[in-house]
Amino acid sequence: MVSLSLSPAAEEQGARLFALKVFPLLKEKCFGCHGEDPGKIEGKLNLLSLEGMLRGGENSQRILVAGRPAQSDLYRAITWEDEEMEMPPKENDRLSGIQIALVRDWIAAGAPWPDEKTRRRYQVAERAIAVTEDGEIFKTSGGLSEEWTYRRYRPEDLWALRPVARPAVPEEVNPVDHFIDSRRMKAGFEAAEQADPLILIRRATYDLLGLPPTPEEVAEFRKDWGEDQEQAWEALIDRLLDSPHYGERWAQHWLDVARYADTGGYSNDYERSNAWRYRDYVIRAFNGDKPYNQFVIEQLAGDELADASARGRLGPGENGLQQVRVNGNYTAEESEWLVATGFLRMGPWDNAMVKAPEARQLYLDDVVNSVGQTFLASNMRCTKCHDHKFDPIPTADYYRLYAVFAGTQMAERKVPFLPVENRERFEEGRVQVKRLLSFATRRKNSIKEKQETAAKAWFAERKLKYLPEYKRRNLPDEEKPPRHVGLDHVDQGRLKVREQDEWIWTRRLERYEPMIQGVYNGPDLPEKGNRARKMRIAGTLDRNWRPESVIYSGGALEAPGERVSPGVLSGCGVSVEGSEGRDPYRIGEDLEGRRLAFAKWVADPRNPLATRVIVNRIWQHHFGEGLAGNPNNFGAKGAKPTHPALLDWLASDFVENGWTFKRMHRLIMTSKVYRQAGRHPEMKALRGKDPNNELLAYFPPRRLTAEELRDTLLVATGELNRTPGGLPIMPEINREVALAPRMIQFSIAPAWQPSPTPGERNRRSIYAYRVRGLPDPFLDLFNQPNPNGSCEARHSAAVTPQAFTLLNSDVMTDRSIALALRLGREAQGLGRQVELAFQLVLGRSPDAVEQERLQAYVGDMRNYHRRGRVERYRFPTRVTRSLVEEFSGKPFDYEEILPVFENYVADSKPADVPPATRALADLALLLFNSNEFLYLY
Amino acid sequence: MTRPICSRPISTQGTRREFLYGLGSSLGAVAMSDLLAREEVGAGPLAPKPAMHEPRAKACIMLFMEGGPGHMDTFDPKPRLTELHKKQSKLTRGLATGFKFFVGSPFEFRKVGQSGIEMCDQWKHLADPVVADELCNYRGCQADSLNHPEALFHMNTGSRLGSDPALGAWANYGLGTLNENLPGYVVMTELAMPQGGPGNWSNGFLPAHYQGTRLRPEGSPILDLNSPSFKDRRHLRRSLDELALLNQKHAAEHPGHGDLAARMESYELAYRMQMTVPGVVDLTGESESLRDMYGLNDKETASFGRQCLMARRLVEQGVRFVQIFSGGWDSHDYLERGHSARIRSVDKPMAALIKDLKARGMLDETLVIWTGEFGRTPDNNKRGGVYSLGRGHNIDAMTMLLAGGGVKPGSMVGETDELGAGAVSCVHPIRDLHVTLLHLLGLDDNKLTYFHGGRYKQMSQFGGKVIDQILA
Repeated sequence: MVSLSLSPAAEEQGARLFALKVFPLLKEKCFGCHGEDPGKIEGKLNLLSLEGMLRGGENSQRILVAGRPAQSDLYRAITWEDEEMEMPPKENDRLSGIQIALVRDWIAAGAPWPDEKTRRRYQVAERAIAVTEDGEIFKTSGGLSEEWTYRRYRPEDLWALRPVARPAVPEEVNPVDHFIDSRRMKAGFEAAEQADPLILIRRATYDLLGLPPTPEEVAEFRKDWGEDQEQAWEALIDRLLDSPHYGERWAQHWLDVARYADTGGYSNDYERSNAWRYRDYVIRAFNGDKPYNQFVIEQLAGDELADASARGRLGPGENGLQQVRVNGNYTAEESEWLVATGFLRMGPWDNAMVKAPEARQLYLDDVVNSVGQTFLASNMRCTKCHDHKFDPIPTADYYRLYAVFAGTQMAERKVPFLPVENRERFEEGRVQVKRLLSFATRRKNSIKEKQETAAKAWFAERKLKYLPEYKRRNLPDEEKPPRHVGLDHVDQGRLKVREQDEWIWTRRLERYEPMIQGVYNGPDLPEKGNRARKMRIAGTLDRNWRPESVIYSGGALEAPGERVSPGVLSGCGVSVEGSEGRDPYRIGEDLEGRRLAFAKWVADPRNPLATRVIVNRIWQHHFGEGLAGNPNNFGAKGAKPTHPALLDWLASDFVENGWTFKRMHRLIMTSKVYRQAGRHPEMKALRGKDPNNELLAYFPPRRLTAEELRDTLLVATGELNRTPGGLPIMPEINREVALAPRMIQFSIAPAWQPSPTPGERNRRSIYAYRVRGLPDPFLDLFNQPNPNGSCEARHSAAVTPQAFTLLNSDVMTDRSIALALRLGREAQGLGRQVELAFQLVLGRSPDAVEQERLQAYVGDMRNYHRRGRVERYRFPTRVTRSLVEEFSGKPFDYEEILPVFENYVADSKPADVPPATRALADLALLLFNSNEFLYLY
Repeated sequence: MTRPICSRPISTQGTRREFLYGLGSSLGAVAMSDLLAREEVGAGPLAPKPAMHEPRAKACIMLFMEGGPGHMDTFDPKPRLTELHKKQSKLTRGLATGFKFFVGSPFEFRKVGQSGIEMCDQWKHLADPVVADELCNYRGCQADSLNHPEALFHMNTGSRLGSDPALGAWANYGLGTLNENLPGYVVMTELAMPQGGPGNWSNGFLPAHYQGTRLRPEGSPILDLNSPSFKDRRHLRRSLDELALLNQKHAAEHPGHGDLAARMESYELAYRMQMTVPGVVDLTGESESLRDMYGLNDKETASFGRQCLMARRLVEQGVRFVQIFSGGWDSHDYLERGHSARIRSVDKPMAALIKDLKARGMLDETLVIWTGEFGRTPDNNKRGGVYSLGRGHNIDAMTMLLAGGGVKPGSMVGETDELGAGAVSCVHPIRDLHVTLLHLLGLDDNKLTYFHGGRYKQMSQFGGKVIDQILA
């Protein structure tokens, strides 16, 4: 070792540095590969001791040169200055500049290596100080290691866990403007001017309804605006908030986060026949301005609320209540609460080929993670296996949440329909499903008959008595005909298809039953058959059953560790209501009431995460981005709020005034910030200084979402059916995709059969049937999110396939014909038709140049179409499908019926209309493809 | 939305669109659009980017055998299983319950080529030494999920959840595309999509530019690629010019809104792709002998053969990542019939692909990989009381072939135990395979990251190791 002359104080400082900083850093970043596993030491370099360091490894003997950082390869490796020697090798693990400096300082201080006892002494002394220049110790229920429990956080990374402040605001100004103005003014920018009334009514109508204003609404608003701007604006907001379409628009945001779909995903992609009731519940909640705290509690614990209420009706005793649970004898209010628990059933889940305990774990992990993201913007998934790397969420808290849900069982439950629920088309639907079911059953039976005929022959040949399939199953091979006797690979393949279809249609019939996709509290079920296919509440439930709640080390069921109780995130610093004893973050062990206690904790006015999360989401859907840029992640690695005081002010105001959304919309929308133009006189300077528009010096433009795009097309053509709620509808989707085979376990899923009449098809997009395995290609292309993951914000990248679809798809051709027909009906002469087309699609009149050019365009197109011929498309009522038989690998065909097309009312097609209409449709298509149509300002 | 903060060395930000836009009015619509288009390709999200280290391969063709081929019935002989045929099995992994028995492979095995690589006798064309000696058979990979869609997601995206970016998406994110008129990541499936569907080639949290584009086997190769039959190209050009004028006026009123130009450009790219894509799909220009070599004249091989030939053409034209899914490998029963039919349908086209790439001097820089989502068990359970000769799903052992760009030719790497129940040497999880494939393409998984949901995410999720043994 190089001898260095250091003062005792400097030596002491070096030792302390090592104990507190460098040793833990080496342990975290280096020891894993260099020493901890003696069987596998990378590069033969053991860093566990000073001796090991000085010895070096196979690539370097100058790992550590005490006092000489620049000559120490340890130091050089962590700086990544030499490409051959970059350590740790992963970008994610790379040392920060500060960390690198720590190692440098330690080496420069002579690389002292105090023994464990000394290191411990330094640590204990250090931990007594809550805040140091290294950050803040943050109290939680405690990590798996002491290092984690006592680690320090940058204070600014803990913003979301601090109690919500209530900053003072001046009286006379909208608080939103107060906060936005003060930051913007500090940056030296003026606000943009107020947007013009057309922009404003479009912005407000889309933001609140997801629909365009009609030309009449625009005209009306312009008139009112001319008289009194403030009054016109407030009246507009009131009108929009009262519209039943408001709930449809805002429910969509929630369903994006909750991951709504009508099927369960993965190999079977089983239908969740009654999921639509949850979708409508969410829409009703928004329309009725249900207080958010209530909304939270109902979704997390609606069944517990319902049971408590029923218990009140029934009096003591469990039997009566269990009868209610099984038979679904709930009141309307209780039923509403039960429907809300659909939230806990939104994740993709299928237990095919997964053992029961693992399938159970998959469900619970999913729920914990979803609850964390949705309500608390906390990434729980990381903490399943280890204490959170960046946030104060210990693994223990993960398993406390896990324990909250450990008695939650999935089930399709009987719950009466509510008077408010739309039950249109039940009869027609049932008739059609029964027809498909009976087709499948008949085809199956005829194959079975063929098999049994051969089986009879087999028995007869051997002079044995015929035994039906179920009786011969367990006989030895010699005493029974081979499986699938008499069936060739074609029959075998078809048999499987028909058996799957039988299940699919049987399940579809449940759509029309008073059932929900819900949950109940009860014991884990024994492994039996294919669970995802059918999940029902048992006739009797063992009320004494308690889930075993432990920490699974590394997330592995095989490695149960320490026991945990149900509880909440300890880092929030909000105690559980009625919690007693030493641990304020603990929930009782009773099977009932765990979720309700947890839900009340989420919806506690003091909960700093939940309250900030929801106002941030509201803000996000007015301005495109949340004040905190990762609405599902408020942790250290999520984007920090651009206006933290505003976020807090909104959260506290929201809670103080009854957790209502509509009030919050009014507050935000009446601000000057919200009414700004999308343009700014100093745009160039702004883009340099504020590329992400954090200052909100101008209003950020956005593209229509997938659903807004489809709905807007239907408004423009006049085809939109504004009926709310009810069974999922099936729009026409790309025909090739609708009929293309889609693999599910053992079979091909049935084809997409659109709803039979335009009226049913042309409902709002939120009512369209959502299949995890088959996204609607049109909506998918415009970034409707994949419901397997929680979507905190939509994408809107422009990619070429969007151009193909907007120009060439049948969906767009049909809409353009529909608009052309409307133009023909409602306006005489090309000039007026161009005018009307602009009004309906863009909400404005064309200027003279546009008018002239587009008239010429339509003229050209008339000439073009006059010469052409259009083929007529016939919808097939049957399709022949080919599939490779799973076992034999040989292809086979089978027939699928498409009864919907027997009495199908198609949209008007190009072949149905004269060339002049096709030319007008070209004009319509042009406008539908324009940027002006697709973007909002 | 996640603020797209991209770590070095990749940037999806910043183009010259806005600047160019100001010139728009003085240029003809078409000329301007074209100029924009080229600028876009020069600087946009799909612009070619330098590799992180010297790449061994420029492109990758992945032949995905959906259902899980049995390793002991293709490339990993297990004579011990033949001895134990129909004897009771007490193996406990896997899901099968009840009486289980071992299943010997119905096929004979032999060593082929100079390298003596092992394969079953069903492989007639792959056994040609010219081809066989190019192959690396890797037997050490282990999967995670026992069920098809999760396992497919895992093999394709590194995560069993089905919402993360696919390998091909990462490759395009890292390297960009070499042909502005074709998608950078092309997927071909059978008529039926594999289980899990488009989640297998999704861009996940990466920008949408990196998603796989499916070239469909029937009908329109890309959905809505072509104008409706009553509109021709002249009609389209006239309409696009008119659209450009409308958009220009709008853009002039909204300076500084960058998305507008990107959308305008996407229409011009669409116009060009309408020409280029049918050209790639149209195989009539290929010689008859080549068509025959790929098996296009035989019903059994025609479909996969077409796709393999298309894969070669796509790679030749600069497509970065091509994937072909071929199903039907899930032989729980009738293994002999099932696997021999599957092998027949891919054998000749695969061999042709290797030969063709080699003949064109492309094999050196094209990585070819043949794999399923998992392997199969040495045993099976009785079904309906009958010895069904098939196999279950096995996540502990599988087999795959690699060839071309940077792979050790004529080699067998890794081993499974004597029953084929589990991998025992050179054992690696799927993430290591991904890291290795990226490595061969010149990308370092640890540096190929994207900031999303509050952290830098990478293909392997938590990092992985390059499987050195399979590298040349």
